[in-house]
Amino acid sequence: MFKRNTMLMLLTLGLIALMIFSVGCGAKDPAPAPAPSPEPAKEEKPAWPQQDIEVVYHSKAGSGGDIFLRAMGKAVEPALGKAFVVNNLPGAAGATAWTRVAKAKPDGHTILGISSTLVTAPLINKMPVNFMSFEPVAMMFIDPMVIFVPADSPYKTLADIVDAAKKNPGKQKWAGGTPGELGVVAGRELMKAADFKVSLVPFEGGGDAAVSVLGGHLDAGIGEYAEIASSVEAGQLRIIVAFNKMPLNQEIPTVAEEGYPEVDVRKLRGIVATKGTPPEIIDRLVEVMKTAYDDPSFKQYYESNNLIPEFVVKDDFLKVMEEQHEQIKASLEN
Amino acid sequence: MFETLSNLLYGFTVAITPMNLLYCLIGVVSGTVIGALPGLGPSAGLAVLLPITFGIEPVSGIIMLAGIYYGAMYGGSITSILINTPGDSAAVMTSLDGYPLTQKGRAGAAMGMAAFSSFIGGTVAVVAFTFLAPVLASAALSFGPPEYFALMVLGLTTLAGMTGDNPTKGFISAIVGLFLAIIGLDLVTGLPRFSFGMMELYSGIDFIPVAMGVFGIAEIILASEEKINMEGLRNTDLRWKKLFPTATDWARSKWVIARGTALGFFIGMLPGAGATIASFISYGMAKKASKYPEEFGQGAIEGVAAPECANNAASVGAFVPLLTLGVPGSASTAILMGALMMFGLRPGPMLFDKSPEFVWGLIASMYVGNVMLILMVLLFVPLFVRALLVPKASLNAIVIAFILVGAYSLNNSMFDVYLTIGFGFIGYFMKKLKYPGAPLVLALVLGQLLETSMRQSLILSGGSFGIFFARPISTVLMVIAFGAIFLPAIKNMISKLRTKNASA
Repeated sequence: MFKRNTMLMLLTLGLIALMIFSVGCGAKDPAPAPAPSPEPAKEEKPAWPQQDIEVVYHSKAGSGGDIFLRAMGKAVEPALGKAFVVNNLPGAAGATAWTRVAKAKPDGHTILGISSTLVTAPLINKMPVNFMSFEPVAMMFIDPMVIFVPADSPYKTLADIVDAAKKNPGKQKWAGGTPGELGVVAGRELMKAADFKVSLVPFEGGGDAAVSVLGGHLDAGIGEYAEIASSVEAGQLRIIVAFNKMPLNQEIPTVAEEGYPEVDVRKLRGIVATKGTPPEIIDRLVEVMKTAYDDPSFKQYYESNNLIPEFVVKDDFLKVMEEQHEQIKASLEN
Repeated sequence: MFETLSNLLYGFTVAITPMNLLYCLIGVVSGTVIGALPGLGPSAGLAVLLPITFGIEPVSGIIMLAGIYYGAMYGGSITSILINTPGDSAAVMTSLDGYPLTQKGRAGAAMGMAAFSSFIGGTVAVVAFTFLAPVLASAALSFGPPEYFALMVLGLTTLAGMTGDNPTKGFISAIVGLFLAIIGLDLVTGLPRFSFGMMELYSGIDFIPVAMGVFGIAEIILASEEKINMEGLRNTDLRWKKLFPTATDWARSKWVIARGTALGFFIGMLPGAGATIASFISYGMAKKASKYPEEFGQGAIEGVAAPECANNAASVGAFVPLLTLGVPGSASTAILMGALMMFGLRPGPMLFDKSPEFVWGLIASMYVGNVMLILMVLLFVPLFVRALLVPKASLNAIVIAFILVGAYSLNNSMFDVYLTIGFGFIGYFMKKLKYPGAPLVLALVLGQLLETSMRQSLILSGGSFGIFFARPISTVLMVIAFGAIFLPAIKNMISKLRTKNASA
């Protein structure tokens, strides 16, 4: 009896240890930096990175930005000699992830993966951080936004759908994201430019929105290309216009080509670092991120997902975010 | 039909290579463990184990990840039944009757029934998936916002089955659950509601910390002050033969399993609904349809069968939108979808044509995995049951540790840990004051989708509630829901009138 109990206790304790280890592993510090290394620091060796780099992201494992970061991590690992480890902190509408990096030690071992959400979310709700709280590193891609309709929809072009909407203001229903998401901003900007009105129905995930349009419950949807790509390939959804020129689908017109060049919506993907991170580290990060474009499997990832490479670094990257900030602010005030 | 069969055979040639069998086994074993550990559910488990798969063949990787997902549905019942602490949210309902069965000394039968019911639910769902996936996918598409709303209303009517002896207290508990569901950013305006300036509340209150607190921590606090009657446990007959549910058990459960499987599979297919909602509704339906509703909550074997077949069927059903539409149906399948995209595969209608070895290998592996699971669970039940012999004090401490680590792993945030502890104390006082916990959790789970779908529907209709009765599927669901609410009252009135007439 006693023996059996002891065995069980040991077993359970072992399980706990395993679990704590595995959770810690996936989530926080996969390779806890061996406490200050006893040997005197070798000055000539690269001072960074000394340990795996934690890349914090504000949405769950499996989301578009998460996949981008993980794929890029694999591509930069050989050059860095250390791994990129994605830490998903989806709480507090993004603020948990952002404050963690804003308050991290500025040594380049904790960096932040970002999308346009970092620009939009703090505009809608009071948060102690926004894009200006960070050191800009580099923007790598624009994730194209598109307007899509069911395959059997009568609307073939942007002009069709705009004309129909003008005849019946507010009658058309378009699926979009939640307030502050770039899809909603895109819809509003387009309505303003082309002077028409539709009802935007909020959906919490791009996938849910796509299903509702597929099922014919809504007339059209605005979203990221990646979220609907499979249905488009299968001929169930049709893209009538894109907000950004897509490398794989040159034939799909952009809103600018359709006559509304003032509608400029760009869902950006990139990396920023904690304020005060030494410029050498930022430069090194920029350098390795640039080499990632040539990695074959990373290339396959971004090409097949129609991501538009756009390498904008440091202050220029900040400027891009500032412009987006002003644009969204104006769009929210209307 | 013939083509499907030959595809499936081809899938088996992929699934039964030694490497893939091994990955499948690793998947289902870790899934069972993850499911059984309180707090650590399939989505957290998948997120943690995802990086492991990056180095291996895509099909092996997905076979393993899928095994973790449906394996967790088996594992969740173990702790529900034995220590009244659900291993994951989909197993909350299993504890309502599973634990009373354990107290009666029938832990083996309860776990056996859970295993068989899971196996039937899982396997039937895989068969349905194999032959009907494209048809089913288009059925799922007919669900727009109004249909979701009607389904959630129907789900709420099952609350009546969980209110216990005092319906008023049950409804108070449910209303608190609905209130918790509206905390967080407003879907339409984006403004925070009831967050009191706390940013942590912007994303709303996840039901998992609430369920873990109310069903896990509260139970442990309660247990530590009561002298638990261990007689039933010690008398539990652990001989292997005794694990099998008796003929009476089967007779009572067979229709429950049949209905629960169909229902679970369909709800699993709907993006956003998932295994937890499926198990709640299946339990509620089983109680409504039962000849012995009063036995539910006291250790009715079909109260174990109902949620278990439904959550397993739902976990398979969730693969339908993932593989046929490229849309994840739940938090767990969202991670699977991310994994697929990392492998360079885009889930969706074209996947069947472009990578048949992948799709059919995965489907075939689910047949294999379910067989592995039932063999494993049945073999190890005697061992699991012995966990009850661990001194209560030690066991409770271990379980609390698991719950808190699990709560942290949800969003990697301490806030969820505090929430879990907070709801543990709330749950303790609820138990003391005889407020049932299940309605609170159910209302919270359903409430978020209920509100989202209602507001979407009202935008679609321009503010008219008529939309819920203007479309065939939602009308049928609403009528069933109203029937479920008013029929008992009408029946009651008629029988009262009769007795009055008889006495007059």
